[in-house]
Amino acid sequence: MLLSAYNIDRQIYTGRLKISIENSILEKLRAIVGEKGALTAPLDLASYAFDGTTSWQSKPDVVVFPTTAEQVSQIMKLAAAHKIPVTPRGAGSNLSGGSVPVSAGIVLCMTRMNKILKIDADSFTVTTEVGVVLNDLNLALTKQKLFFPPDPQSFLAATIGGCVSENAGGPYAVKYGVFKHYLLGLTAVLPNGAIVKLGGNTVKNVTGYDLPQILCGSEGTLAVITQVTLRLLPLSPSHRTVVAVFDKVVTSGQAVHKVLTAGILPAKIEMMDNWVIRRIEETTPLGLPLDAGSMLLFELDGTQSAVDKDVESVIKSCQQAGALNVRAAKDDVEAANFWTARRAGFSAIYGASPNIFAEDVTVPISHIADLIDKVQQIAKKYDLTIVIIGHAGDGNLHPSVLTDKKNAEHYARAEKAVDEIFMAALEYGGAISGEHGIGLEKKRFMKQAMQPEAIDLLRGIKKVFDPDNILNPGKIWEEKS
Amino acid sequence: MKTLPESLPASEGDNLDDANKCMKCGFCMYNCPIYKVDHIESHVARGRNVLIRQANEKTIPTDAEYAERLSYCLLCGRCAAICPAKVPSPDINVAARTDVVNRKGLSLPKRAVYRGILKNRKLMANLLGAAAIVPGVSTKDGKPLRHMADFTSVFTKGLSLPKLSKPFLSSRLPAKTSPPPGVNIKGQVAIFPGCAFEFFFADIGEGIAQVLAKAGYEVVYIKDLTCCGLAVRSAGDLKTAQLMAKHNIKKLAKFDRIITGCATCGSALKDYGKWFASDDPLKKQAQEFSAKVSDFSEFLAKEGVKSQVTEPVIVTYHDPCHMKWHQGISSQPRELLRSIDGVKFVEMEGEDDCCGLGGAFTLAHRDISLAIQDKKMQNIKNTRAQIVVTSCPGCLIQLRDGVRRNNLPVKVMHISELLNNNQVSSDKKSNKS
Repeated sequence: MLLSAYNIDRQIYTGRLKISIENSILEKLRAIVGEKGALTAPLDLASYAFDGTTSWQSKPDVVVFPTTAEQVSQIMKLAAAHKIPVTPRGAGSNLSGGSVPVSAGIVLCMTRMNKILKIDADSFTVTTEVGVVLNDLNLALTKQKLFFPPDPQSFLAATIGGCVSENAGGPYAVKYGVFKHYLLGLTAVLPNGAIVKLGGNTVKNVTGYDLPQILCGSEGTLAVITQVTLRLLPLSPSHRTVVAVFDKVVTSGQAVHKVLTAGILPAKIEMMDNWVIRRIEETTPLGLPLDAGSMLLFELDGTQSAVDKDVESVIKSCQQAGALNVRAAKDDVEAANFWTARRAGFSAIYGASPNIFAEDVTVPISHIADLIDKVQQIAKKYDLTIVIIGHAGDGNLHPSVLTDKKNAEHYARAEKAVDEIFMAALEYGGAISGEHGIGLEKKRFMKQAMQPEAIDLLRGIKKVFDPDNILNPGKIWEEKS
Repeated sequence: MKTLPESLPASEGDNLDDANKCMKCGFCMYNCPIYKVDHIESHVARGRNVLIRQANEKTIPTDAEYAERLSYCLLCGRCAAICPAKVPSPDINVAARTDVVNRKGLSLPKRAVYRGILKNRKLMANLLGAAAIVPGVSTKDGKPLRHMADFTSVFTKGLSLPKLSKPFLSSRLPAKTSPPPGVNIKGQVAIFPGCAFEFFFADIGEGIAQVLAKAGYEVVYIKDLTCCGLAVRSAGDLKTAQLMAKHNIKKLAKFDRIITGCATCGSALKDYGKWFASDDPLKKQAQEFSAKVSDFSEFLAKEGVKSQVTEPVIVTYHDPCHMKWHQGISSQPRELLRSIDGVKFVEMEGEDDCCGLGGAFTLAHRDISLAIQDKKMQNIKNTRAQIVVTSCPGCLIQLRDGVRRNNLPVKVMHISELLNNNQVSSDKKSNKS
């Protein structure tokens, strides 16, 4: 009932149904989290009205910062008793509108639960609170020669809880997978306030339905995760980087396929098109070839002798695929520069125009070249700049449409182009989101991406966890009208 | 895994519209000393930029609540240093503060301090001179008189401020300090002492001149310079700050090299060019002036100096924000420290983490300031260093306050003090580094 009031369009919410929380409830919240654990001033609330996207804004009524699972439980009991919407939030660096409190109510900000509880180097696991920033976890693990591979490029901001809730991934996905592949167990608070421990500490664990996996990627709609146990790997002794330059993006897509089918599994394969290469050179000159149509970056890891062999094989495959130039980075410093450039790529895109649709489509790797081809046709058809950057090795591309909301005609063309990109990904047997999640941004495509019966299963699972629909309502699927 | 670049991106001055460039990635949160303590989004660049943008579009009022949010910032510059979109958030905040002052005016006490006292060096000297007569307010030869720390702390929410140095630098330093006999004169430099080394740490101010002289420079000291203006600009009173800059530029125009031992003054003097709009006739002059300014350690590291301490000591170094993030200087002071005979240099963890002072911030938001200070103290303690060296009088105040509060057996010194401990010669070849 609540949700149907929202116009789920690419609009800033203005006339939304406003839940005003009574003062008596605010007092109770303050009693739970303390005076400094709750924000209600309008300017503070305004800074929790958004996430990492440009499309969505909606202010909460209160932001609370719990520091224990027990506090989360009390907050949820209070919210359940009064049917107050609760939107869990980490750093709010997500790119789907998922943490925007479209139903107002309570933002449950988990950033003060930021202790790494136990690094178990003998069992290769880490148990941590969810507010820990991914980079801080990585720094602590590296000291003990441990490796946690999933590497969403928001790692300097993103919290572990946010990463689990979005089932985040990054360049390492090609070889090492994404967050769900490392989630062993967790503690969560159900919408009714019950604190539950799900899963365990082992890689193998078949004890009923895999409940941690259901929470992973659930975008904060099922339960509030307070603590997770993650699987770790030993740090690889050796890393090398190969850089390959191509005349066309499509050719580089073919090269990716060639490398993989030659039997080499690089740790990362990243792609940047000409637009990105030129922007990187403008801001951080690295001597990248400005006339190149596309560039691939490979990272190979393992023991030194294996890495050296793999480097040769990758170079050979790229040459066979028609690379204009391919070579190994001469040392760690040069390699680090290339990877910094890759990270700078996304910023270059975001800084380039007032609004960006940074899409997140994924296709089976045999169709990477097809998808690239299609995106370029769509760009031509609608006369748009669509930048291509992405994790080519796992088929996850971020075609980014540059546009400006203030130019209605241009914006409409951009929207049409995005629709067609999604449709193309689905036609090639892919997915509409590889790693950003559905949130608000991709709700309208769910019907094309999933069977009605499958969406009904999602609704059913939601109902079991959250019968009153108070936890992050209005996300993932559209309400039946 | 160091994820930080070495210094801030260049910015062409204060521009509110730059807030629109923020793409909301949130990386600033990783680097913000305040956010790391309270995790409140309106206290970090990403959230603040949203508010500034909304104020700019007039969808929120520029009232006291707004000004309060702008005050939650040390202007340390870490957010801009890590920003992938190179958004100059500290400058945007200063622009927003200036905007508030332009609309609402300054509070009376601030107006009195900025436009009256700080601008007028003689008045400041007279006032502080009169204050120094009160027993316990001043120090002799840099040794603080006891008891005052606890007395003044009533007014400073517990922060122990340094005592006034009597006499002030103006009565200690001659107009020219020449190299000692036997040292060849390489050239002439003018020093910019800044308020701190003029009135509060005059002994250090004197030492800075002596070290430079021993390194072969004739050191010119001009009495009627004024405050660098940074605190005034940071508070949003750009007009007064410009007048101060203009005065200093004029007084020092004839010198080719201007050296300051104060990281904060250095960052201001080097930024003077940015303080004037591009159509202002003073802009070019200010930029030319800025190009002649060097920090003390930046200048000396190029010269090469030889010095020794009487007993072996373990020394660590705290990077002032105004030095590392605003001027990109971090290797030079370490080079100098390592070159001192008898110094064992150790790096602390979080060596470039803020001390938490942030000028007026420490008084406005004492609890956060102390939380930041606590982390720094723990890191200093872990090194087991006997001396922590820094290059900023503000950091000296905050670190000494922290050492006192935590009862640490650590001496906090300005880099010139260690270099002035004993012999300093000008011969690069004899530098054993």
